[in-house]
Amino acid sequence: MFRPWFSLSDPIWQDFDRLNTEMEKIFNENYFTPAGTVATRVPIPAVNIGETSDQILIYLFAPGLDPKNIDLTIEKNMLTISAGRDTSKELGEDAKVTGYYRKERFSGRFRRVIALPEGLDTSSVEAKYKNGILNISIKKKEEEKTKKIEVKVD
Amino acid sequence: MADVKGQEMAVKTEDRSLQEQQKRRPVVVTPPVDIYELEDGVVLFADMPGVPKENLDVQIDKNVLTIKGEIGDIVPKDITPLYVEFNGKAYERAFTLGPDVDVSKIEASMNAGVLKIFLPKSEEVKPKKIEVKVE
Repeated sequence: MFRPWFSLSDPIWQDFDRLNTEMEKIFNENYFTPAGTVATRVPIPAVNIGETSDQILIYLFAPGLDPKNIDLTIEKNMLTISAGRDTSKELGEDAKVTGYYRKERFSGRFRRVIALPEGLDTSSVEAKYKNGILNISIKKKEEEKTKKIEVKVD
Repeated sequence: MADVKGQEMAVKTEDRSLQEQQKRRPVVVTPPVDIYELEDGVVLFADMPGVPKENLDVQIDKNVLTIKGEIGDIVPKDITPLYVEFNGKAYERAFTLGPDVDVSKIEASMNAGVLKIFLPKSEEVKPKKIEVKVE
């Protein structure tokens, strides 16, 4: 008797099919949130560094901080930024929380150490905290600034 | 010759405007959120560093709450990037609201890059205390 080795009507495949639909149901209805609604994870908090002709600029994306609790130190050429926040205190103590749907935001203390390039005047550091971004600017030493050199013709 | 040069110039300016367009095209980031349920409503916190109040856009269309925010100008024009971890230029995220939110009384505030939205529950669904009289 001839029988194909593979048949979709075989009960085992129907079981797989049922499992598949069950899984889809579970994942669609209760488990997975629709695509695009899961927050993008960045190393917390993210740092961008750039330079202009006369200074180095550091941007730390750290929202919700109290500027008084931001600790900045420079030792040799290592810049250390440490701060923190407690998101559980944002609601106030008298808020009657009955549950939560999402907890994705960073809570706790962090520390980031950044190796600075040579030739910076570390006595002229300026730090500003605005709209949740900490902006640190450090001036370059006079001899490190970009200079134009004229070419003489003999 | 002059024509060829003119053409070259045209190509170059076209290239440049294309590059500028690409530069301007915002890189949209999904902000992380905390959402708590309170007795009288729902509170949403969203981390959107770099967004000033005036660049914030909170909208409700039917039962969808959309939050959008563009990062303001934070870097000087002549900056050369050395190291970049975050290249977002705007934030956007949408949420579907339950039927028990009183859409007319939603409050939003922005502080240090954190957006806070309070969505009060409508009067009908708030827990009420019913006193039992003992006679």
